[in-house]
Amino acid sequence: MRTFKLSLAILGTTALTAPVFADDQLPIVDKPLELTIHMHWPRAQGYGPGGDTNTLYPVEVVARERTNIHLVDETSGRNTTDNNEAMNLLLAKGDLPDIVGGNLIRQPVNQYGPEGAFLPLNELVDEHAPNIKKFWEEHPGLKEAISAYDGNYYYIPYLPDGKYGRAWFIRQDWLDALGLQQPQNVDELYDVMVAFRDQDPNGNGEKDEVPYFARDWEEVNRLLTLWDARSSGSDIYHDFYVTDDGQIAHPYAQDAYREGIANIAKWYEEGLIDAEIFTRGSSSRDFLLGENLGGVTHDWFASTSGYNAALADKIEGFNFIPFLPPASVGGVRMEEHRRIPIKPDGWAISYTNEHPVETIKYFDFWFSEEGALLANFGVEGKTWDMVDGEPIYKPEVLNSATPVNSQMYLEGAQVYRGYPQDYRYEWQWTSPAAREGIELYDTEDLLVDQFLGVAFNKDEQAVYDKYWPSIRTYMLERNQAWILGSGDVNADWDAYISTLEKLGYQKVLDVMNSAYARQYG
Amino acid sequence: MSSDPNFTGPRTEGLVTEAKEALRRRKPGRIERVGDHLKREWQLYLLLIPTILWLLVFLYKPMYGLQIAFKDYSVFRGLAASPWVGFEHFQTLFGNDQFLRALRNTIYISMLSLIFGFPMPIILAVMFNEILHQTFKKTAQTIVYLPHFISSVIIAGIVITAFSPSAGIVNTVMGWFGLEPIYFLTKSEWFRPIFVGTSIWQEAGFQSIVYLAAIAGISPTLYESAVVDGASRWQMVWKITVPSILPTIIIMLIIRIGNMLEVSFEMIILLYQPATYETADVVNTFIYRQGIQGGQYDLAGAAGLFNAVVAFVLVMTANTISKRYSRTSLW
Repeated sequence: MRTFKLSLAILGTTALTAPVFADDQLPIVDKPLELTIHMHWPRAQGYGPGGDTNTLYPVEVVARERTNIHLVDETSGRNTTDNNEAMNLLLAKGDLPDIVGGNLIRQPVNQYGPEGAFLPLNELVDEHAPNIKKFWEEHPGLKEAISAYDGNYYYIPYLPDGKYGRAWFIRQDWLDALGLQQPQNVDELYDVMVAFRDQDPNGNGEKDEVPYFARDWEEVNRLLTLWDARSSGSDIYHDFYVTDDGQIAHPYAQDAYREGIANIAKWYEEGLIDAEIFTRGSSSRDFLLGENLGGVTHDWFASTSGYNAALADKIEGFNFIPFLPPASVGGVRMEEHRRIPIKPDGWAISYTNEHPVETIKYFDFWFSEEGALLANFGVEGKTWDMVDGEPIYKPEVLNSATPVNSQMYLEGAQVYRGYPQDYRYEWQWTSPAAREGIELYDTEDLLVDQFLGVAFNKDEQAVYDKYWPSIRTYMLERNQAWILGSGDVNADWDAYISTLEKLGYQKVLDVMNSAYARQYG
Repeated sequence: MSSDPNFTGPRTEGLVTEAKEALRRRKPGRIERVGDHLKREWQLYLLLIPTILWLLVFLYKPMYGLQIAFKDYSVFRGLAASPWVGFEHFQTLFGNDQFLRALRNTIYISMLSLIFGFPMPIILAVMFNEILHQTFKKTAQTIVYLPHFISSVIIAGIVITAFSPSAGIVNTVMGWFGLEPIYFLTKSEWFRPIFVGTSIWQEAGFQSIVYLAAIAGISPTLYESAVVDGASRWQMVWKITVPSILPTIIIMLIIRIGNMLEVSFEMIILLYQPATYETADVVNTFIYRQGIQGGQYDLAGAAGLFNAVVAFVLVMTANTISKRYSRTSLW
């Protein structure tokens, strides 16, 4: 069982988080203590199944029994799904609940924490949260990454597990039909795509194949890595990246980018890239795969592999599988996208909280072995059982028509509280095709370090806010114009660079680098 | 000369003086007069109260928040505690080429919408009025009203599909004539025609209702006498219908000019791409990207305030011109 061994290997990191929490430390308080919580995240606007705050999550029921801390919903902006808006509403109200949690809280928490809205957690964690402290020690650099400009950190993040996010996918059955091999480098990829375009691999007699497509147009820039340029330094599109000499720079201002874009524009003009990539939108993967038109894409392992099962009956021999990133012009295989080790999601303690020590102990509970299992898999005996020391989902959970993650969201597991995610949760319901792909990717060193972001002080933030949005707008305008052929990158390059300078690119880099040096230096 | 008002006989002189005196005594004071008026018309004022409350709560109270444009705003500290920064945000805006471009685009798109979009509902209304077949008239009206009730998101979806280079109806038709397909929505030169055309298609029908109502108010006797005088239908349209609804047209025009900078930006956000920012980016989308997505509420507030000032100047100008030349005006 090679897969099983691999799952254990992947889990090496999580398994290290051994229990520090002796059972006698629970419950945290003798008498039940109610704490109010704002929990606004994509799956639920409010702390309750699907946002229904009149019902308790099964996980919350168990957590109450074990800790005697009762979380009571007090979520603002429950009628909007926009997390930023909900957070601003909450802050503008002024009267914060004890715990503020949910999606994308890092920026507001780091901005308003130093102003006094949230409690710094450094000392609280050191003194009262042995499990979290241990996690920081085992994962150096993460605590620094979530810190605000004053050096304190103000939230406990949701910490994703697992390495891979997106992968390169190709229609293996098309390759077979045309007698071709999986492309190993950029030139071979070009030849394969030309063959897809010209040799009618779907066999319908029409030249309607779309060699490269993507449901997010930004993925067209992922092709930049084939010419040793970068498209982003993190899992957010168009983000800054850390250069080899430890400086922050933007990928779209580098010489390699010019080379890459010139080639992408050529591919676009030759019809190797979906002509409608900019407007087709999120349904393009459904459409182009379902209509037997799309050949290559760069998308998430799990969801993209799922099409093999979904389309098995519709398209004969449909086989859309991950292949290794083709080696670049410079001979480098790079998978630029990966799961980021910390998310801007999680929870924080607000200044109105009268029980900070109890609260941090409660946060710590979710980092204990018991709490982490509860946060990842739901209630033991209900959704999973411990088999030979491994949490294994019950068959009815795995075989349900509802995806496992959706089931977990209703149980109160995988909610964006601050907790360490456990990849064993996802591995159990990852399709065989994706598992094979992950094994394939594990055979090479493909991933690059991620830029985890910086925390600006007030002056730096002002500079960034003043210049960056316009620079970004300009970069994306030129990016699309060059790809579409309404401009020539080689002819425009000098003017482009000098316009970036005029818009304040160097000023933005300076504040980026000063913040980066302060935070990680 | 008994009708001479100055003629007073000895007998009547006393009566007149008495009557004048009584009138003077009974002439009520200003307050008394307003009181009488209220007593008589109180129902009308009662009907006015909800509107006044609405105005106060939703339009006047928020004006307090306009100071955000002159402050370094922090959501947590609140409006009152945020420090003043004077005109800094306005300086930032006007130092930004993209804001100036957005301003130019806003004016350009508004002018196009005004020139092509404003006459449309009037033409539609006049044409509807000339349709004699009732069933046909009702069907036609329903069809042109319909797009107004469809959400912008769906309209944008229809537009994107219709102009798609591979499957869109527009490119398919062009293909019949041997034309190369065009990827319209990434071509900046095509954005304005598509956007203005879409908004006309979406709103012209519904806007024609106002003019239809005005036409319905024209006295039929005018048409009857015109028929007797032997006027043609065309003459009746030009000499009766259009002049009769001219005051409505002018009022609508003034209102329209006041809203000129309020380009329906949700539609633009749905249709634009970085590739078409050059012609598509308007002040409101700029505010959205820079201010709301970037969390710079103060800067967004400054841009919004500037927008309002320009709109105010436009309305005042239009109203003054109209008052001088056509004697029709909002106030």
